[in-house]
Amino acid sequence: MARLIELKGITKEFDGEKVLNSIDLYIRDKEFITLLGPSGCGKTTTLRIIGGFEKQDAGELYFDGVEISDVPAYKRHVNTVFQKYALFPHLNVYENVAFALRLKKLPEKEISERVSEMLEMVDLVGFEAKNVTTLSGGQQQRVAIARALISKPRVLLLDEPLGALDLKLRKDMQNELKNIQQATGITFIYVTHDQEEALSMSDTIVVMAKGEIQQIGTPTDIYNEPKNAFVADFIGESNILDGVMICDKKVSFASHTFTCVDGGFGPNEPVDVVVRPEDVDVVPVKKGMLRGKVTSVTFKGVHWEIIVDIDGFKWMIQTTDYVAPEAEIGLYIEPDAIHIMKKSEFSGMFGDYSSFSDELDELSDADAVD
Amino acid sequence: MRSAAAAPHIVWAVLFIVVPLIIVVYYSFTDRSGAFTLDNIKGLGDYTQIFLLSVELALIATIVCFLVGYPLAYIIARQKPKMQKFYIMLLMLPMWTNLLIRTYSLMAIFDDGGFLNTLLGTQFHIIGTKGAVIFGMVYDFLPYMVLPIYTCISKIDPFMWEAASDLGCSPLSVIVKVIFPLSLSGIISGITMVFVPSISTFYISQKLGGGTFELIGDTIERQFASNALNTGAAISFAMMILILISIWIMNKFSDPEEGGIIV
Ligand SMILES: Nc1ncnc2c1ncn2[C@@H]1O[C@H](COP(=O)(O)OP(=O)(O)OP(=O)(O)O)[C@@H](O)[C@H]1O
Ligand SMILES: [Mg+2]
Repeated sequence: MARLIELKGITKEFDGEKVLNSIDLYIRDKEFITLLGPSGCGKTTTLRIIGGFEKQDAGELYFDGVEISDVPAYKRHVNTVFQKYALFPHLNVYENVAFALRLKKLPEKEISERVSEMLEMVDLVGFEAKNVTTLSGGQQQRVAIARALISKPRVLLLDEPLGALDLKLRKDMQNELKNIQQATGITFIYVTHDQEEALSMSDTIVVMAKGEIQQIGTPTDIYNEPKNAFVADFIGESNILDGVMICDKKVSFASHTFTCVDGGFGPNEPVDVVVRPEDVDVVPVKKGMLRGKVTSVTFKGVHWEIIVDIDGFKWMIQTTDYVAPEAEIGLYIEPDAIHIMKKSEFSGMFGDYSSFSDELDELSDADAVD
Repeated sequence: MRSAAAAPHIVWAVLFIVVPLIIVVYYSFTDRSGAFTLDNIKGLGDYTQIFLLSVELALIATIVCFLVGYPLAYIIARQKPKMQKFYIMLLMLPMWTNLLIRTYSLMAIFDDGGFLNTLLGTQFHIIGTKGAVIFGMVYDFLPYMVLPIYTCISKIDPFMWEAASDLGCSPLSVIVKVIFPLSLSGIISGITMVFVPSISTFYISQKLGGGTFELIGDTIERQFASNALNTGAAISFAMMILILISIWIMNKFSDPEEGGIIV
């Protein structure tokens, strides 16, 4: 697929602080791409540069092969769904959606046809005359989407469009957005800090941290082959351990040498090792490669989430079989469940699960939503 | 409980609004001896010309205030918060000086042998023209136009600008299509707050009109000064009705529920 948008060395400073540090990224036509990263990593800034609301200090921005840094927002074929909707309170639902077409002075008949079409798509038929300020959050969001899509932009920018909605509505809207994207064939650039949302909706995920791109890839790539400790920690649950690559396909961590599938590191190169909680098998102590003591067990519906203390490092393991707290168990890890990463600036920043509790998890989730 | 809490408010309202109104109405419909009469009201016809002139000047002053005030308010509202405070303070600064004194100083500036003519070495005759009176009204009442509009624009969600330009509005059409309609309530207050004092002013026309023409405010003042309380009250009464009607019309426009003029 053709490259629709290309960012080359995009750098942006605010008050002398680098918010984006030489971002290189291309976005293909018709793809659903997600910028994912923690608060303050520069996602919104990137989006605003593409939308034309902010100008980079250095670097180039191409749209369809043309440099557009100096093209004002209103001339770009890019529309935005704002996080707080930004609907026009003086206009009703119909007029909000019709806004872009009225600017183009299209005939009334075409406007009304296209507005109806849009309202049908976002399931708001019958709301035409309603005042937008009386709508619920989800309804306002739909109006915002219809308003942005009616002029058939090449690209739709969405900045945490579901951030203000409750969980159930968010899930519904995720599906709806994905369907709309596939039906219209419009390129979506989506910003979120919710990794689940990113994994389930995107064709491509761009993981950002500290104003830099950490990894670009498909959801499976990002999940299965995180490039560094930051990505591994940010996407899903992971046990991240210090290891040493003894030679190709042999790695030593947790005082044990494992067979793995990765290679291409120097002899005895220190590495970060990722083992996903669902990839560890619980076995009797004698059959285990590692052994440890279960310190906590939490029922999660589909599986149990257990924390296992192995020589002081707390592992998280997901298992479908019940394990009693305080039990001694063995762990078995398949070679392809071990993922090796080069050491990075993020190495050692993510500890084990010793301070882990559900309560804390929820608290930090709530923080993240804000 | 609630009515008890509201009591002081009602006392004030009665004392300073209702009682004076009743007094005005009483004098309007009585003669010197206190007997009921409609003569005062019937006599209002004599002042039609003055009424019309007052409306004309007040309208022009209001329009000029709006044309100057809206862009000014807009520009101030788009500054950084610190600068906004600074500009608003500048705007308010003249208001700390008594209106009468400010009008006097305008006189000193615009007089035939005044500051302006001396400075330029010219012989412009300004005092005594409609232009001078209108200028005086604009100068004195401009802050009343700017402040409500500024307040209204500065409360508009900053994303409105981005949303509008995102959907294809040029910088000018952002203002026309979105910001202007959203600042309508400020505009209505501004217009009311300039029009009402302009139409009832007397000292501006006295000082800057140079005695060449009389506005309704002057007439009222003259009636009271010459102790013709009943005629004065009747004219005031008519003015009040006029102003009430204009405010009522204005409010028709500003009420978002009835927002007929908003497309
Ligand atoms: N207009 C601005 N002036 C000064 N600093 C800014 C401005 N906009 C953003 N920043 C700073 O730039 C950094 C990145 O901001 P940005 O909004 O792009 O982050 P984000 O990834 O969208 O975060 P979040 O998930 O919290 O929305 C932050 O440290 C922020 O404080
Ligand atoms: Mg953001």
